[in-house]
Amino acid sequence: MMLLALCLSFSAFTALSLAMEKHQMDLHGRQAASVSRRRMWSVLGWLLLAAAFALCVVDHGWALGPVLWLGAMTLGGLLLAFGLYPWKPRWIVPLAVALPVMGLVAAVV
Amino acid sequence: MKNGFRQSMACLHTWTGLLVGWLLLLIFMAGTASYYREEISRWMRPELPATTVSTDVAAERAVGYLQTHAGQAETWFVTLPDPRNPAMRMFWRNPESMVKPPVEGERRRRGGGRFGDATIDPNTGEKLEARETRGGEFFYRLHFDLHYIPVLWARYLVGFCAMFMLVAIITGVITHKKIFKDFFTFRKDKGLRSWLDFHNVSAVMALPYHAMITYTGIVTLMVMYLPWGVKVAYPTDEDAFFSEAFGGMPEISAPAEGRAAALPIQQLLDSARTHWKGADVSGFSVTSPGAANAVIDIRQRDGRRLSTDTPALRYDMVSGELLMETPASGAATATRGVMYGLHLARFADWGLRALFFLSGLTGCLMVASGVVLWAVKERPKHAKTGRIGFGLRLVDALNIGAVAGLPIAFASYFWANRLLPLQTAERADAEVSVFFYAWGTALLAAFIWPKRVMWTWQLYLGAALFALLPLLNALTTHAHLGVTIPAGDWVLAGFDLVMLAFGAMLAMCGWRMQRWTPPLTAAEKKKRAAAAAVAAEAQA
Repeated sequence: MMLLALCLSFSAFTALSLAMEKHQMDLHGRQAASVSRRRMWSVLGWLLLAAAFALCVVDHGWALGPVLWLGAMTLGGLLLAFGLYPWKPRWIVPLAVALPVMGLVAAVV
Repeated sequence: MKNGFRQSMACLHTWTGLLVGWLLLLIFMAGTASYYREEISRWMRPELPATTVSTDVAAERAVGYLQTHAGQAETWFVTLPDPRNPAMRMFWRNPESMVKPPVEGERRRRGGGRFGDATIDPNTGEKLEARETRGGEFFYRLHFDLHYIPVLWARYLVGFCAMFMLVAIITGVITHKKIFKDFFTFRKDKGLRSWLDFHNVSAVMALPYHAMITYTGIVTLMVMYLPWGVKVAYPTDEDAFFSEAFGGMPEISAPAEGRAAALPIQQLLDSARTHWKGADVSGFSVTSPGAANAVIDIRQRDGRRLSTDTPALRYDMVSGELLMETPASGAATATRGVMYGLHLARFADWGLRALFFLSGLTGCLMVASGVVLWAVKERPKHAKTGRIGFGLRLVDALNIGAVAGLPIAFASYFWANRLLPLQTAERADAEVSVFFYAWGTALLAAFIWPKRVMWTWQLYLGAALFALLPLLNALTTHAHLGVTIPAGDWVLAGFDLVMLAFGAMLAMCGWRMQRWTPPLTAAEKKKRAAAAAVAAEAQA
C-alpha cells in the first residue's frame, strides 16, 4: 500500500505538471495546451494526491500517515524534476500510467 | 516597496545561508546518517550475530546474565534486541560500597566507576566480543556536539546555525518569486540558472521536511536555549521541572529489603503486553533485583506513535501486581514529545525511514548547492577585474573542503573501522581521529589550491573511497555482499549497496565537473562564427 501511495503521488505530480503550460510544451508541443485540457489535468492531479493521502492514512494511521504522504510527494517530485524532465521526458507519461498499475498489483499480491 | 522588501529578504537569505552553510552541511550530513545509526553500528561491528530470537527468550537470557554478573547491582537496565539491532545491550549500577577508588593515572570512567555494561548474544546469553567502535553513535553526537568543541558551546553553536537556517528557509520562500510556477523546473547545462533551479527545487520539494527538521531541532534543546522560564517557575530545583515535565516514572529511592524469588520475566512481560492490548516491549529496568521489594519498569516499543514519550508500566517483581502507569502527558509535554519524535523518527518503519533519509540528503544538496551558488554568482564580477578576490577564494576553498571533503571524511571513518588493527589502544577514538584527519587534509588542500581541478580530484577520491568500501568489506570480513545478499540480511547488504550508490553519484559529479567548460562570451561566439564562415568559404 505504501508503494502504491508512492506511485500515485508520482502520477499526481505528473498530472499537475501537465496542467502547466511550460511542461505541456516540454512533452506535447504547443497544440495540446488548451485551457480546459489543462484544468482537467490539474483536477486529476489533486484527486490523485488526495487518493495517495487516503492510502497513507489507511496504511499508517492518522499520526504517521500524513508524514508518509509528505515524504512520498518529495520522492515523486524529485524524480520528476531532477530525473525525468531534464533527462528522459519521453518516459514520464508511460511511467505515470504504469507505476500505479504496478503499485496496485503489488498491494493486492 | 514590494520590490525593496523582497530584495532585502534576498540579501538576508544570502548572508544567513552563507555564514553558517558549511557547518550546516556537516550537521545535515551527520544528522541524515543518524537515521541509520543502528544499521551503521551493526555494519561497523561485523562480529555481531545476525539472527534474532523472540523477545521472551532474549529477556530470559538477559536476566540470567545479570544475575550471574551483576547480582548485587542496585539497578539493571536492558534494551531488548529488535530487527534493526540483533545484539542486546545492558548496563547496571553498582552500590556505592562496591566502587573501587580510582587508580592513579588511569582514565576515570563516567559515573565514577559505578556503572557496568555488557553486550550479549541473545541466542546464547554469552558476552559478545566485538571491535571497539562508536559506530553510528559518532554521527549522532557529532550533529549536535561537534566533537572537539566543549559540549555546551557546541550546542549553542548548533542552535545558532539552526536559527539561521530557519531564517534562511523563511526568507528563501519569500525570495523565491515563482514557487509554484517553477515547481518542477530544473534547466540543466545553463550555468548559474541551473544552480539556482537546483537549489530551488531541492528546497521546495522537501520544504515541509526542511522546516520541520530545523524547527524541531531547536525544540530538542529548547530548555538549554531558553532556560529563564524554568528558572522562574522552579527557582531552586530545576530537576523537579525535568521530572515533572518529561520524567514519566518517578525514581525509586527506597533501599533493597530482604530476599525473595522474582516471578519469571516472561510472565511479567506478558502482563504488560496484555495491558497494552498486544503492543510489544522494547526493554525494561529493574530496581533492587533479587530483593523482596524489587520492581520492574517495562517500556513499550516505538510503533505507531509520533511522540518519543514512551509509555511504561511498573510492576512488583515478586507479586506481579501493577504498581504504576505513566500518566497521560499534558498538551505542552505531548507537543514537545511529538516534535522530538518527528526529529528523531524512531517511529519510522523501513519505508518511512528511507523517505526521511532521502529528504535529509535533499537537505544536504540544498545547503551544498546554496554555498556553491554564491561562488558561481560572484565569479563573473571577479573575472572582469582579472583576479580572484579574497572573499571568493575563501568561499571556494570552504566549498571544496565541505562539499567534496566531507564525503571523503565519512568514507574514511568507515575505512578506518575495517583497517585499524583490532588491538589498537583507544580504537574507537582512533577511528574518530581518522574522520577529522581526512577532513582536515581535504580542507587544507582546498585552501592551498582552490581550483576546479581540486573539485574534480576530491570528488573522485570520495567516489573511490565509497565505491571500494564493499570490496574492502569483502576482503576484511565475512559479512560482505556475497554472504549478506543470499542470506537476505538487508541491513548489512543495504549498507554496502548504498555505499556503492554514493560512490557512483560522487563519480558522476566529478565527471561532470571535469568535463564542464565555461560558457563562451558573446564576443567569443561571434569570433568563432566568423572563423567558421571563413573556413567554409575557403573550402568552397
